[in-house]
Amino acid sequence: MDVLSPKERLLRSLKGEAVDRAPVICPGGMMNSAIVDVMKNHGNVLPDGHRDSKMMADLALDVQADTGFENVGIPFCMTVEAEALGSDIDFGTLKCEPKIAKEIFPSLKDVIYKADDALVKSPRAGTVFQAIYNAAGHSPDIPVIGSITGPLSTAASVVDPMNFLKELRKVKDESHRFVDYVTNQLIGYARYMVDNGASVISIADPTATGEILGPRMFGDYAVVYINKLVDAIHEMGVPVIVHICGRMQAVTHHIANLHADAISVDALVSLKKLKEAYPQLTTMGNLSTFLLEFGEEPNIQRGTEQLIQDEINILAPACGLSTSTPLSNIQTFTGAAKAV
Amino acid sequence: MEKEELLRQIADAVVEMEEDTVEELAQQSLTAGIDAYETIDLGLAKGMERAGQLFDEEEYFVPELLMCSDAMNVGIDVLKPHLKSENVSKKGKVVIGVVEGDTHDIGKNLVRLMMETGGFEVLDLGRDIPPAEFVSKAEEYGADIIGIATLMTTTMPGMKEVVDILADKGIRDKFKVIVGGGPISPAFAKKIGADGYARNAADAVKVAEKLLSNTDLALGA
Repeated sequence: MDVLSPKERLLRSLKGEAVDRAPVICPGGMMNSAIVDVMKNHGNVLPDGHRDSKMMADLALDVQADTGFENVGIPFCMTVEAEALGSDIDFGTLKCEPKIAKEIFPSLKDVIYKADDALVKSPRAGTVFQAIYNAAGHSPDIPVIGSITGPLSTAASVVDPMNFLKELRKVKDESHRFVDYVTNQLIGYARYMVDNGASVISIADPTATGEILGPRMFGDYAVVYINKLVDAIHEMGVPVIVHICGRMQAVTHHIANLHADAISVDALVSLKKLKEAYPQLTTMGNLSTFLLEFGEEPNIQRGTEQLIQDEINILAPACGLSTSTPLSNIQTFTGAAKAV
Repeated sequence: MEKEELLRQIADAVVEMEEDTVEELAQQSLTAGIDAYETIDLGLAKGMERAGQLFDEEEYFVPELLMCSDAMNVGIDVLKPHLKSENVSKKGKVVIGVVEGDTHDIGKNLVRLMMETGGFEVLDLGRDIPPAEFVSKAEEYGADIIGIATLMTTTMPGMKEVVDILADKGIRDKFKVIVGGGPISPAFAKKIGADGYARNAADAVKVAEKLLSNTDLALGA
């Protein structure tokens, strides 16, 4: 029998304290696990659940109950932040996640700065806060993870990314001003999530990868602003997971400088080697989402056992799950994780 | 200044992302009576090719590559009105896009850029493209190559669908299919029956050249 509740286990893992076994989670946001199977089982569906707080909470609870992940993850997409700051959103379909239809500003010089509470006052942020509140009240032993789109990804969802990426290099002062502004908006967003019951915050910043930015700009922008956000959340007394996308070689040396309580990585990265290089890191990941969608049960079982054998601290999918991932495959993953 | 020296400086200015220098030197090349196509081919494109190489070697990253391309385009704007039409020979036609469900198109834009610089004619379908549209647009455009990109694991099946639709319509042999993007591996490319896998934008040009030259060999034999 499990001696720790899922919430205690996750919080202890994030503090680096001893646990009976590694938790198995999926944070939501970019790492969304609202799959079609679950939506069909219960009738709480997307895209409606993106804008309806009750449906958002109910769907998040359905996902938790059906999949066996040991957390509730809210919201299910990466568009709340950019929508609040003015960009157009395509809400997608049952199977297809929402996306930025058009960034509001073509270039940094076009940016009109809003008040620092613009994000938290936006209607959809309100939906997210209410959903977190409902879900946290429903099951106090299950941690609710509030998922946030990182500073650079949010910035590149508000200003056209092709121009924004050049401007990061060309107009550094304005770039810093803008990313700092975005970070301040995100800090407010995290605070309301925490106030409404989120016990962990997860940040995914897919634009901030070594492959896109290179090591220097990753250090100058990604590390600086992700850390600013993480530090602010730490002051709220809440641990933070940071997910880094893609191949990491170009920026591995920066990873130890991130202030996150756990580092989550893509399937391409060897967590075992990362652990060897930086033993102080709390590692999270990284079962291939391709395997989860198309793999056979024994392979998923084996992949999970390998992660446990490598002493990965928190087990999770390596990236966002495809909405057509079979529920049974996810159950195989969570089942194997808990069988220790 | 000698021609070779001027062309070398133009290439350097592209690599160094110096738009103003490129513009000035492109003007100088016209004054010196150097053929506009030659300046593009051996100056601007050469510089962009080196930028691609630096990208491949992880010296340059996306922002640098985009800035080199801006510098190159400034030069092309100066030279284009002076191009004689007969030297516009193209290596082949490419239809390119990002699979439906994925709106990350930075990588795809880089591939388009490098393909165009490398002498291919490119039709960019954009992002979030349904599999059937890759096929219909490729037929319409008379493409030699279909390039499919994705950054998200979730949209990888869409790539297979493109290959399957081609097979169903009995036109699989008419096109070379190249796939690439964050989660894609050579093994995946092989598994879904694609012809090529491109590691990055610079690699895409090489793969495309190789695939088309193989076709020629096959046809010649």
